[in-house]
This record gives sequence, structure tokens and C-alpha cells, in this order.
Amino acid sequence: MAQVMMKDLNKKYDEVHAVKDVNLHIRDKEFVVLVGPSGCGKSTTLRMVAGLEEITGGEITIGDRIVNDLPPKDRDIAMVFQNYALYPHMTVYDNMAFGLKMRKFPKPEIAKRVQEAAEILGIQELLKRKPRQLSGGQRQRVAVGRAIVRHPQVFLFDEPLSNLDAKLRVQMRVELKRLHDRLETTAIYVTHDQVEAMTLGDRVVVMKDGWIQQVGEPLELYSKPANRFVAGFIGSPAMNFMEVAVAEANGALWLDTTGLRVKVPAPLAGRLGAYKGQRITLGIRPEDLHMATSNDPADYSFDAIVEVVEPLGSEILLDVKVGQSVIVARVDPTVRAKLNDKLRLALHPERVRIFDNKTELAI
Amino acid sequence: MAAARSAGRARDIRLAYLLLAPTLLLFGVVIAYPVGWEVWTSLTDLSPLKDGSAEFVGLSNYRRLLVDAEFWRATLVTVVYAVVTSAGKLALGLGFALLLARPFRGRALVFLAIFLPWAYPAGVSVIGWYWTLNPPTITAYAPFMGHLKFYVDSALGGGAWAFTSVMLFNVWRGSSFIAVLLLAGINSIPPELFECALLESKSPWRRFRLVTVPLLKPFLALGVFLSITSAFADLSNVWMLTAGRIVFPLVGTHAYWLAVKVGQYGPASALALTMGPFLLVVLLVLFRLFDRAERSAA
Amino acid sequence: MVIERRWKKWVFFYIPLTVFVVGTLFPFYWMTVTAIRPDAELYRSWRAVNNAPFWTLHPTFEHFRDLLAKTTFPRWLLNTFYIAVASTAISLLCGLLAGYALARLRFPMAGALGTSIFVTYLVPPTLLFIPLADIIRDFQLGNTPWALILTYPTFLIPFCTWLLMGYFKTIPKELEECARIDGATRVGAMTRIIFPIAVPGILSAGIFAFTLSWNEFIYALIFLSSPERKTVPVGVVSELIRGDIYFWGQLMAGALLGSIPVALVYSFFVEYYVTGLTGSVKG
Repeated sequence: MAQVMMKDLNKKYDEVHAVKDVNLHIRDKEFVVLVGPSGCGKSTTLRMVAGLEEITGGEITIGDRIVNDLPPKDRDIAMVFQNYALYPHMTVYDNMAFGLKMRKFPKPEIAKRVQEAAEILGIQELLKRKPRQLSGGQRQRVAVGRAIVRHPQVFLFDEPLSNLDAKLRVQMRVELKRLHDRLETTAIYVTHDQVEAMTLGDRVVVMKDGWIQQVGEPLELYSKPANRFVAGFIGSPAMNFMEVAVAEANGALWLDTTGLRVKVPAPLAGRLGAYKGQRITLGIRPEDLHMATSNDPADYSFDAIVEVVEPLGSEILLDVKVGQSVIVARVDPTVRAKLNDKLRLALHPERVRIFDNKTELAI
Repeated sequence: MAAARSAGRARDIRLAYLLLAPTLLLFGVVIAYPVGWEVWTSLTDLSPLKDGSAEFVGLSNYRRLLVDAEFWRATLVTVVYAVVTSAGKLALGLGFALLLARPFRGRALVFLAIFLPWAYPAGVSVIGWYWTLNPPTITAYAPFMGHLKFYVDSALGGGAWAFTSVMLFNVWRGSSFIAVLLLAGINSIPPELFECALLESKSPWRRFRLVTVPLLKPFLALGVFLSITSAFADLSNVWMLTAGRIVFPLVGTHAYWLAVKVGQYGPASALALTMGPFLLVVLLVLFRLFDRAERSAA
Repeated sequence: MVIERRWKKWVFFYIPLTVFVVGTLFPFYWMTVTAIRPDAELYRSWRAVNNAPFWTLHPTFEHFRDLLAKTTFPRWLLNTFYIAVASTAISLLCGLLAGYALARLRFPMAGALGTSIFVTYLVPPTLLFIPLADIIRDFQLGNTPWALILTYPTFLIPFCTWLLMGYFKTIPKELEECARIDGATRVGAMTRIIFPIAVPGILSAGIFAFTLSWNEFIYALIFLSSPERKTVPVGVVSELIRGDIYFWGQLMAGALLGSIPVALVYSFFVEYYVTGLTGSVKG
């Protein structure tokens, strides 16, 4: 039952300004994911919420208490670490019971809660083992179990799935999501994996160099990235970027570069007026490209030469050369393309993104 | 931005000083005061043989040291002693460690045997050595040892045999510790690195020089450091093995002799204190080495 | 090929190993032989008939008997044990707390304090005993075990602190952070999580400290005067060497008996000792 508020949050180490003016309101029961490349400040932000890092400036509120000066133990939170941080000298049961023992819960209550959590996570038969006798996935479950027995106000996850192999990671991702739906506890989750962020988060916070780049629901980030960084970070394979000139001809605006000349779609034309004669960045997602057919107007199609073919089964990724640049197109598996084939591709005019070259913001 | 120190940080700082308090308290009494006394005494002519209070004589004790041939001789002998024994300990210790690096039958027993000289009280094992190397004349093999002593002394000067026996003892005892330290080092290196090196080069010598030695550098540095400090501080072993008749004085034994036998506390303190800066330099050089090894490993 | 291999193994492994081990152990063998050799055989000419220089024809326990009957050797053992255990306990406690503070807490002067604790290791002990004797007189501790119990930590604490600091650094920070989030204070996390995990390091430091205090010679020689208060190394040497007369058999018997506790400690804990050392240097 708690919201988390961060107000003008800042963290400075001796020379590094790791977190800059972060303002974020996490609502009760919400699952918020902080995502970004390493060194973007996401983990530091999480650790400040946990009380493991000093707050250089600003304020954090959990529930209705300002927690800046509270030690971690008094913040009523639980955290799952990347390396699980299981206490090696205690059994699984004692690991899970530790937090409750520290809070002086009566023994029967502890036993009840540990049993309950063990059942939810399917680790009842592991309770008497020591952490080193467990596999990676089992350790992960114990770490989660240790967090949930406490019934905390907020869960904090610091890249909890990074040490698992790919298959297990997908499986645990689904379980975590189910667990959150069941427990309905506010959760803050840090990851560098945008797929994890998109699948888990009610809302996703993209960070870079200590700044928040954009906050939004997963599909909103995907379809309306606020800037070039978010556009390139969210989505896989990543969005294609090409530098183009804005030119006027025949009473319409055109985006122009070697080997490519497309008409600016009507909704964008208004916003692009000011950029006439300047260069901007054009962003096209691989899935917004397709093999041109006779139905596609010539204004939105262009020639490309195949450089790499990656058949994935459900789709084919084509690395193609357009003028000087190489872009990726995601096409139907029925397409038969070979190296050095010359193709004609078309784009979805209404899904094209454009960015200011200087500010990198979406236009 | 000068952020106000938060409550959590203040708690940490208080706790840190609290945890350090017992150590600092004890050190205040049994280290700081004696060292302070020594520094003060080195500036006076304090002596138990002289009546009246000590007089402040400034740096004259230090000046006298600089022109004292005995001081330079002691320094030279100490450096020779430290270098020779450290080299011997490192060579033997490394040899032991490499021989024991791979499992074989009875390795645990061999390990214990090699460890024994270090674990054994030096105060008594040194007597054993004295007995072995300087037997009373009526003993069975005394003539043999007597000849050996005669040859060494006549080749290198009187007292050389005693000095050699101190070095032998020091190497015997120290190499045992270095072996254990380096073995711990070898065991801490991931075996993949050695396997990888096996693919890279056929020559065992090259592998040793390019892989084993760099990886062991921190351990080697620590070993050398401990070996050198112990050489400088050595007093009891020398005293015992030479039965107090020290012909080749070390800095430590010379200072002891000056203070206790001659009663010149001032010069003795000055002498003892000159070791400090020297050891500090050795320490800094070794840590620089250590650091570089760390960084190149990262 | 195979023959060449075997030949190489002998030259590069068995022969050097044998030479090393024999060289290492010979002094102990010699001490043992001396301890069980009857006096008559001990002091006999090289050329005497029926000579056996490297073993004895009439092993005897008379030296051991004399040692136990004519000296206060059992008292020495007890004194040494008491002093070694007490000074080790003090040093370990100080080292644990200081090592934790230096490894895990950020505070002003951390670097300076850490360095100064370590640098005390460099303070030449050669002359410290003169002012230390003053202090011991002022506190009226002369000729009591406390004179040693309180001075031994000067060389034990730096090593313990350094070794444990290194060991603490190898323990992932997250364990402690997790404990603090789970409801423990800093001190709680330290005593309930970090110290139990650091047991190999603690044992290793403890063994080291125990050996060093068991073997210490100079301070024990200077600060203790009455025979029944002495420690084993000093007692053996000062009571069994009278002027120029060495009671060799008893000396060696005492040397053998007096080191049994240390040998036992090492053979039981050698595994911990090695892992402890590794942890500390890696950190």
C-alpha cells in the first residue's frame, strides 16, 4: 500500500554526477521498470530508494514518509539482487526467515509465512538446503521468496534475471509478472534489457547519463519515443536512422538522401515547415518496411541491395544497402531474397519518426 | 554542491570510529607512546649510566651516525642479509609451491612437512640449528663442522660462519612461509588461465615467465615485503645463533647492543628510527608493483 | 617417449621434491635424535668405536624425564598457552572490528588510519622494549602475563586487521545490504552475516597470531623474570643454557615438546589457513 515519490533526486560521487534531477511518481501497486545502458544511473536510483546510497540532493517519499534519513531496515522494503545475495551459511529456510526474525515475529507466524512463500514459488523441498547446493534458477526463487515473506510496502529488483540463462530468464519473467499480479505490491525493477522492461512494466522509465529520457507505458515508448535515444533503445532489432535533407518540390516536402527520396506524409508536413532546407534524422523501424507491391505509391518506396539475409523462421531480417547507409528490414518469411539481390522496399508513411539533428528530440 | 551530511552517513562515521576505538586506544599506549619516547630520546643524550636528567642535543645523534663507520657497516650487512635471504626464500619458496601446485599422492603430508619450519617456534628451532652447526667439540661430528667453520671463516673473515648460519636458518624458516603463501596464490588463479597458456606456448619457461609470475605478483610482493621487514627487525635469531658474539652486526642488533650493552639510548634510538623511512620506501615500491599487477589483471 | 617422460618426471619432480623435503626436515630429525640420545653417546668422539652419528643405538627418555622433573616446563607450557590465547583473542577482536570498519565504512581519515595501523608493522621493535618497560612498571605489570598479553597485540593487530580487511573485501557487499534491508542494523549485519561468513579468515588470522605469540622471544625474555612465569621458548633457552653450558638433550626435548600445541593447531586448521590467506591477498 505505498506510492513512491522522487523529487529532484540527485546523486554525485566525487567526480561523477550519476543521477540528475530525477522526478518520478510511482503509484501504489504499480510495476515500474527503470531501463537504460550501464552507467545510466538506474541502479543508483534504486539503491537510493533502498537506503544503500546517500542522497546528494532531493527527496524520496515511500508511502507518506520522507525516507531520506531512514536506515534501510526502517523503510519497509525488500530487495532482490542480481547475484541473489543469499546468506551462504544459512539454510534456505533461515534465509527466508531472517528478515522476519530480525523484526521479532513470533515463530509460528514465521513458519507460516515461509511455507506460504515456498508454496507460491514451488521450493518447499529445498528449505533445508544451503544456497551452494542450489541451481541458479532455484537461488533466484529463494531470493524472491525471501523478499515476499516480508510483505513489504515496496519490492525493489536490481537486475534479478541477468545471471540466468536465456531460457530460464524468459520463464522467470513470466513468473515475476504473475507474482506481481497476485501480490499487488508496488515494485521498482531495474534492468538493462529492454525486452524485460517492455514485458514486465506497467510503466517504463528510460534513463541515460543520469537523466530520465522518457516515462511511459511500454507501447507508448515504442510508438511515440520522445527522442532518438529512446527510439533506438526500445525495440529489437533497433530502429534504423538515416540522415536526410528536407527539400521542397512540386508543392510538397521531401526527405532526400542518396538512394532515397520519400514524400513527407501529410501529418508531419506541418511540423517540418521550419526545417526546410535543413538536415534531420529519419527513423524507420525494421517492421515498418516491406517489399513494395504495385499498390504502394512510388513516393514511399525506394531501391535497396541485399547485404545479409537472416532467416529467423517466423520472419526474415534483411540488411540492405540504401545509398550509403545500411538498414534492417523485417520482412515476411515467404520472401525469397539472395545476397546482392536488388529489391524495392516501401515504408509505412504514418509510422515514420523524425528527429532534430541537434537536440535529438522527436519532431 | 555541499550537501548536508545525512543522518545515515553520520551513523556510519560514528560506527567506524567506535569499531576502531579499541585498536587505537591500545596503540596509543603501546605504540604511540614508545615511538614518541624513541623520537624524543634520539634527540637527547639519555643514558642509564649518566646521572642527572637528559640533555637535548638536537640532531647530533643523527649527525654522528652519518659519520660512524660502524653504522654504515651495519647498514651494508643488513642490506646484504635482507637481499640474500629474500632471494633464497623466494627461490626455494617458489620451487616448493610449483612442485606442490599439482595434486599427487601424499601431497598433504609433504605440505605439512614444508610448513613445519615456519610453524615451529623460532626461539627453539634456532637452538636446534645452533646445535647442528656449532656442536661442542667433543660431539661426534664436531671435527667436520669445525673444519667447515674454519674454511668459511678463513675465506670470508672471522664470524663469517656464524653469519652464514644465521642466513641459512632465516632462509630455511622463511622459505617455508613463502611456499605456503605462493601456493595459496597459485590455487587462487583460475586454472583456465594455465590451460589457455598451455595452448599459447610450448615452452614451460615462457609459460612460467609470462603467465605464472605476473599472476603471482601480488603474492610475491607481499612475501618480499615481509621478508625484508623481518630481516631488518631480526634480533633474537642472530643473538641466539651467534651466542651474543656478533661480528657482523645488523641494524637491529647494533641498536640493541648500543642501548643495552653500551647504554647509549640516544644514538641507539636514532639508529633504530633510521630503519622506518627505509622500510617505508620498500613498502611503497612494492605496493606500486602490486598495484600495476592489479590494474593489468583488470 | 614414455621413457623420456618418466626420466623427466624424476629429474624435475621426485628428486627436487625429495631434496627439499629432506633439507626441510633434517633439523627436526636431528633435534629428535639428540633428544633421545643418552648423554654418554651425545658427548663422544668422532672416532670412537661403534659410532652411529646419524641415529642412536640406545634411545632413552631420560632427557624428557629430567625436563619435566628438574625444570618447571609444564608451568611454561601453561603460561605460554594462556598468554598466546589471551593476546590472540584481543588481537582478533580488535582486528575484526578495525578490519570491518576499514573494509566497509566510508569515513574521514579512513585512508590515514588504515595506513597508520599498517605502518605500525614497520615500527622497529628493537628498542620499543625500553619505553614499554617503563609503561609496564607504571602499571605494575612487570613479571605478570599481562605484560605480554598487552604488548603482543602491537605486532599481531596490524597483521590481523590487514588479513581480515582483505577477507571482508572478498565477501559480496550485497549480502550485507540485503541484511540491512531485511531489518538488521549495520552492527547486526556485521555480526550475523559478515563474521560467520568470514570464519576461514578469522581462523587463519587466529592461527597466525597464536603462532607468533607462542614463538615470541624478546619481550618474553625482557618482561618476565622469575623462572616459573616464563614462556616455553624463553624458559627452555634461559634455564637450560647456563653460561656456556648447554644441556643439549633437555634443550631438544623441551624444543620438541614445546612446539606440539602449535603443530597441532596447524595440522587441524591448515585448510582454513590457506583459504584465509588467499582471500586476503586477492581482496
